[in-house]
Order: sequence, then C-alpha cells, then structure tokens
Amino acid sequence: MNRAQLMGAAIKAAVPAGTLLMQHYNNFLEVAAKESLRDVVTQVDKLAENQIIGILNGIDDSVAIVTEEQGQVRGGKDAESYWIIDALDGTVNYVNHVPFFCVSIAFVENGSPVVGVIYNPVLNDLYYGAEGVGAFKNQTRLVIKDKPPDECLFSATFSGKSFEPGRRKDEFQLFGEINDHSRGVLRTGSAAMNLAYLAEGKLGGCWGKANKSWDIGAGLVIAGLAGAKVKFKEVDKEKRLVSYIATVPSAWDFVLGRAAGTLGF
Amino acid sequence: MKKNLLVYGAGAIGRGYIPWVFLPAEFNYSFVERNFELRGLLNQSGKFTTYKTVGDGYESLDVPVLRCYAPGEELQEVRRAGGVDAIVTAVGPRNVLSLKESLTGLKIPVICCENDSSLPSLMASATGNDNFVFAIPDVITSCTASNELLAKDPLSIITEDGVCFIDDRVSHLGGNCKYVSDAELRKQWLAKLYIHNTPHCIAAYLGASLGVTYLHESMQHSTAEGIVAGAMREMEQMLIKKFDLDSSFVKWYGGKELQRFRNTLLHDPIRRVAREPFRKLALNERLIGAAGLALGCGVMPTNIIQGIMAAFLYENDSDPDFNIALLRSSLSPADFLKIIIRLRPDEALYELMLTSWERNLQQLGSLGK
Repeated sequence: MNRAQLMGAAIKAAVPAGTLLMQHYNNFLEVAAKESLRDVVTQVDKLAENQIIGILNGIDDSVAIVTEEQGQVRGGKDAESYWIIDALDGTVNYVNHVPFFCVSIAFVENGSPVVGVIYNPVLNDLYYGAEGVGAFKNQTRLVIKDKPPDECLFSATFSGKSFEPGRRKDEFQLFGEINDHSRGVLRTGSAAMNLAYLAEGKLGGCWGKANKSWDIGAGLVIAGLAGAKVKFKEVDKEKRLVSYIATVPSAWDFVLGRAAGTLGF
Repeated sequence: MKKNLLVYGAGAIGRGYIPWVFLPAEFNYSFVERNFELRGLLNQSGKFTTYKTVGDGYESLDVPVLRCYAPGEELQEVRRAGGVDAIVTAVGPRNVLSLKESLTGLKIPVICCENDSSLPSLMASATGNDNFVFAIPDVITSCTASNELLAKDPLSIITEDGVCFIDDRVSHLGGNCKYVSDAELRKQWLAKLYIHNTPHCIAAYLGASLGVTYLHESMQHSTAEGIVAGAMREMEQMLIKKFDLDSSFVKWYGGKELQRFRNTLLHDPIRRVAREPFRKLALNERLIGAAGLALGCGVMPTNIIQGIMAAFLYENDSDPDFNIALLRSSLSPADFLKIIIRLRPDEALYELMLTSWERNLQQLGSLGK
C-alpha cells in the first residue's frame, strides 16, 4: 500500500473504534491500574484495540502490529515497518468522564512514523496525515501559523513513575518555567490530542519525556506535516518509550533551550 | 484620460470578462497573479485577447497589459498617489481575505467579483475601510479557449455575453455594467447563487462522473441534463417560497441558465467549475446549504442530493480538495456525512442523504452506460 492507502486504512480503523468508545462511555467495564495510578486500562481499551486490529488485518494481514494493550501482536521486534495503535489515548480522562480522549494509529517505517490518524470521537474531529500527502483535519488542510513563544499556549506529558524516578522533579520544574514565560502550559491527559492541537494551531508546542510511542506516533506525523518543528528520541527500545518536542517554528529555541537537558536531547 | 485598473486574479473573470465591463479604451490594465507561468506569459506578451460569444460566433477584444505583478510586488503602485484608480478582485473567496494587508488604508474602490456576498463587509471589518463593494458578474467565463484560438494566442480566453451588476456606490467609475441598489444586488445574488451556482456545479460533477471535459458536454447527456434541470426547478421553488422572489423572474432566470450551460462555444472545463468541492459542500453553500433551504420550505431536493453525491465522487489529484475521494471510500456514509460534511445525525437532510445514498450511488454509476 502507498502512503495515501495506509492513511485510508488507518481512518477506516480509527473511526469505528472511536464510535465504540462513545457507545461505552457511560458503561465501561473494569478499570485496572498498570504501572501507576495514572496508567489505567479499561475493558473498552481492549475491545477497541481488537476491533482496530481486526479491521487492519482485513485490509492487509501481513503488516506487523504493535499495540498498547497487547504489545507485539504480529511481526518481530525488529520489523522495519509496522502499525502502532493506541485505541484510547486519554484513558484517565475517559474513566473520569472528562470528554478529552482519542484513538491514535500510526504507521512506522525504519523507525519513523510516516502516516498518522487521530480521531476525537467526542467532537467528531478526524486528524490525518501522510508524508507526500499532507496533514488535515476533517476537510481542511492544516498549515501552522507561526507565533512567538510569549503568545503560545503549551502542553506537556510526563514520564511514567518508573522511568528515571530521581529526575521527576526536573519535569515539574520545566513545566513551571515555561508556564511562567508563556500563555501557560496545560496537562491535558492526551499526548495525541496535544500534537493534533499543535497541528491545528490551538497550541504553540508540546513535549513529553519517555512517552509511549503509540501515544505520539500519529501526532508527530500530523504536527510535522502541518509545519511544526519536531524532534524525538527513543529512550527505551524495549518499552518503546520516546521523548519528544514539537513546536511552532518561533517557539522552538525557547522550548528546546529549556527542555533539552530534561528530555535528554 | 484613462483610469488605472488593477485586477487581482488573471483568470476566467479577471482576464476573460472584466475587460468587457471596463473597456481597455477607458482603462489601463495591470494584474496581480500568483501563477508563475501565466504571469510570465502576460508580461512577455504585454497583451491578450478575450473573446465573447455572440450568436454562433465570437467578438474579440485585445487588452494591452501594463504589467502582471507577483503577489506583493504591486503594493508600491497601489499606494502611490494616482497609481491605481480602482481595484477588482477575482481570486476566489478563499483568497480574498489574504489580501487584507495589501488593501488596508486604501481610499480607492475595491470591487469584489467573488462568489460570497459577505466578503465586502468582512474586508471592511478587517481593514477598517468601507470602500469594498460587491459585484455579480452574471456570466460564465472559461479559463481557456478552443485549440484554434489558443493557436493564435495562448492567452486567449472566452466569455459569454453577460451582465455585471455592481453596487451603485461606485457608479462614478462608469463602464459597461449595471449599477444597482443593495436590494437589486441581493435579488440578483440569490438568483445567481441558487439558480446558477447550484445547478452549474452539479452539471460539472455529473460531467466528471461521465468523464467528459467541458460543461456543455455534460448537458448533452439526457440524464445529466434532467438532473441539472430538476435541481434548477427545486431552487426556483425554494426562492419563491423562502425569499419571496417573483416567480416569473426566477423561471426566466432558470431558462436563461439552461441555455448558457448548453453553450458549445464556451469550452468551459469541468475541472474549473468543479474545483474545490469541499468549499462548495460547506453547510451554508450552494449544495448542502441549498438542499437544506429547499427541505426547510417543503421542497424535496431529490436532484440536488444526486448532485451532492456526484460531488462526493469527484476525483482530481491536482485539486486542493483531492482527499475527498479517499475520505469517502475510507468512511462509512454515516461517518462521512457526520465527520467530513459536518451534518448532524438529527438533521432531516442527514437522514435523507443516508437513506438515498446507495440508490444515488447506483444511478450515478450507471450514468455513463
């Protein structure tokens, strides 16, 4: 499949999964904690994930798949190209009925995401992009409008409890420093939506330390294709953890200068 | 002494029709055009010929061109006292707002020949000037010409013989047009938007489904022409019921439009009329908006909905909205209507389109057979 066809396949899988999330919004089953109090999973995550896998398999069952809940579904760990799937990014929001979550699907080639789809089923907003095609929200092509950092709103995602626990305070310090020199920093609970909102022009930038690759893969593609400056680095290959920064061009030095040490760039 | 006219957009209306309104004998022409190749041709040639269809033939008009600027290059001339006496925009609604910086602070009239009657007031708010006026070129103009005419002059362009309605606030400019009141402009705009624009783009999308090149070829197909004429009748009925337009005026207008669509001399490319389908499918625009208005006053928009489906099927890799085909094939009809077209599932039009989806798809699929 070419990039546009891969994007179409991801759309085909993401939207029904989003619909399923909304169908269970008021009656999701079983909340279990994983690595930390913030890292929870519901039965709906798994249902939606299985549905996505089923749809992608129906299109092409030879492609490797990596998911949040099941890990390596198909293909070896060194597969050069594969789908990465987060059927529900923003699970804590979901279980607390904060209406801010999404489905995130990306296609990775040679270590970099090249196709991304994010579907926000609360607002029925579909963000999608592929190299060589562009980035879009619903009907509209996304092109970032640059602005200086003091006019930017940012958002951050934090590492899990077990990753460099001695350096957790650096992340909070970074949050505060940028918060005090900009329009503020949010912690929205969805890394994928942060990147989608950057691509859309709502945010001036976002960053995350040791985030799950399936949380950010799609968003990195979409934000980059919309004109954001993007940098990411794998910090744990086994656990598929990635640190990243993505900003509008004029905010790049402002954020990178402050975040590089904390994020390991 | 000739006045200096600056035209943003050297396309169908800007180059093809405006010189018939503001004749070169009275106006010096300069253009602003972002197409590099077209700009080069105009500057190299220093002139072009526009042809007007008259009866079975053409009347020609040679237009000398002082200069064709790249966007931004014209600013010095625009701001020089006496540099420009009037400006015409014919760049498409999506591009007009991007001219805000260029046009702020000017005292000269800016005539917006655009398919959006709200643009003059939007630009007035954006620039702080109230010198923006609306104009309705009631004409079909191609962006090209027949091969025979292009062989004589690659910048040839064809227009039909139409009427230009302009806000009478700028009547001091003179020209070959009708300066009219706000009320008359509104009447002409409603007619143009719904009895011309709606069936015109439907004819283009049906033509694309048929695989033909020019709009008149679409009208030579009896089923396609039937859908276009049916859409026109639905709009006529809506205008009478909803806006209280005179029935003899709307019926006359509809008959005139069908004749124009059939004009074999125009060589109006389907791709020009069909461009940017998402813009035309906006909720308040000529397809979805029109269908909604019809339904709202008890007129079943059966033919308009077939035209909307034809728009959903439009495939053109070089169109800004090239992704419409991919989205339609990747989403269920319900999700496509909800997420991409932004119709609410509780709307009557959503339900109508969903229930007729497969039937319309089949009918359009058999159109060319």
